[in-house]
Amino acid sequence: MNKDKIFKLAKGFRGRAKNCIRIARERVEKALQYSYRDRRDKKRDMRSLWIERINAGTRLHGVNYGNFMHGLMKENIQLNRKVLSELAMHEPYSFKALVNVSCTAFPGNKAVPKKEGLSSIL
Amino acid sequence: MATTIPTSAFIATPHRCSTGRSSAIWVQKAQFSASSSSLGVSLSLKRPSLRLVSVRCEANGAGMPVIPAEERWMYEESEINGPDIWNKTWYPKAADHVNTEKTWYIVDASDKILGRMASTIANYIRGKNLATYTPSVDMGAYVIVINAEKVAVSGQKRSQKLYRRHSGRPGGMKIETFDQLQKRIPERIVEHAVRGMLPKGRLGRTLFTHLKVYKGSEHPHQAQKPIPLPIRDKRIQFVKK
Repeated sequence: MNKDKIFKLAKGFRGRAKNCIRIARERVEKALQYSYRDRRDKKRDMRSLWIERINAGTRLHGVNYGNFMHGLMKENIQLNRKVLSELAMHEPYSFKALVNVSCTAFPGNKAVPKKEGLSSIL
Repeated sequence: MATTIPTSAFIATPHRCSTGRSSAIWVQKAQFSASSSSLGVSLSLKRPSLRLVSVRCEANGAGMPVIPAEERWMYEESEINGPDIWNKTWYPKAADHVNTEKTWYIVDASDKILGRMASTIANYIRGKNLATYTPSVDMGAYVIVINAEKVAVSGQKRSQKLYRRHSGRPGGMKIETFDQLQKRIPERIVEHAVRGMLPKGRLGRTLFTHLKVYKGSEHPHQAQKPIPLPIRDKRIQFVKK
């Protein structure tokens, strides 16, 4: 009974780990431990990916992530980082509006970059 | 998004265009429902007339047909309303990182501080300046470096910075100073600097192939129409004291 379940979970493993019960049992246990740990890690990784994307998006407008978020917090805009990163990617005009809101609330960055790409249109 | 975004390389929204598959499925289902539905309801469906070739970008926006409430159970959520972009973090499809559509940048290395220039180059090659940055996918641009033999370093590095390599055999370490290597193979200096700043791994190695370093001021990539790399670092110009 248990062997079948182990082999079912061991599909796609390398070498004997998918075919021989003694090795498969070890690798499956490890795999389940990793998936437990990584379900928690995934939330962290996703958030850091959103932050990286927001950072890139705001730097196109001359503001860095820290000052941008500070401005948003001051204005009590409670958009979360997931939505902000999707806005930065798919709704650039709305994102530029958010950057403006943040700049009026907290004028942190002085140096504006040379206009290039989309920023020159906005 | 009803905005007309100019096709600049920085922000591309091609993921919308990948609903071609779902619209093809819809076409097949629509044929079935047209033949078997006798609801007596005036269906104001805008059905593409028996089109088996799905046009990717037309499948969205105005091209999205209205599915009446009675038939909505037949379809998946993503087929009715389009892909869910607000609840799922975007991941690039193959069409979003085609190598032939990437931007090409060009940097003139004369009298630029080596490390500062290499840092901005590595950022652009990796794609970290784009809002669509993804760490597991090559979303970056190509960078051409010309006049590599004129790159500058501050302080005593010109005679004191060592480049080491090892042949693998005992006693096989070879050491060169910055000066000697610049006389021998000047491109290697810039390549070494940028390679150290790119991620190490399979993806990093392919990213490294997107860097093109040349000794003089000529490069064979005129056809790619490279644009000057925007450098925001103020201390990158070498000032002779």
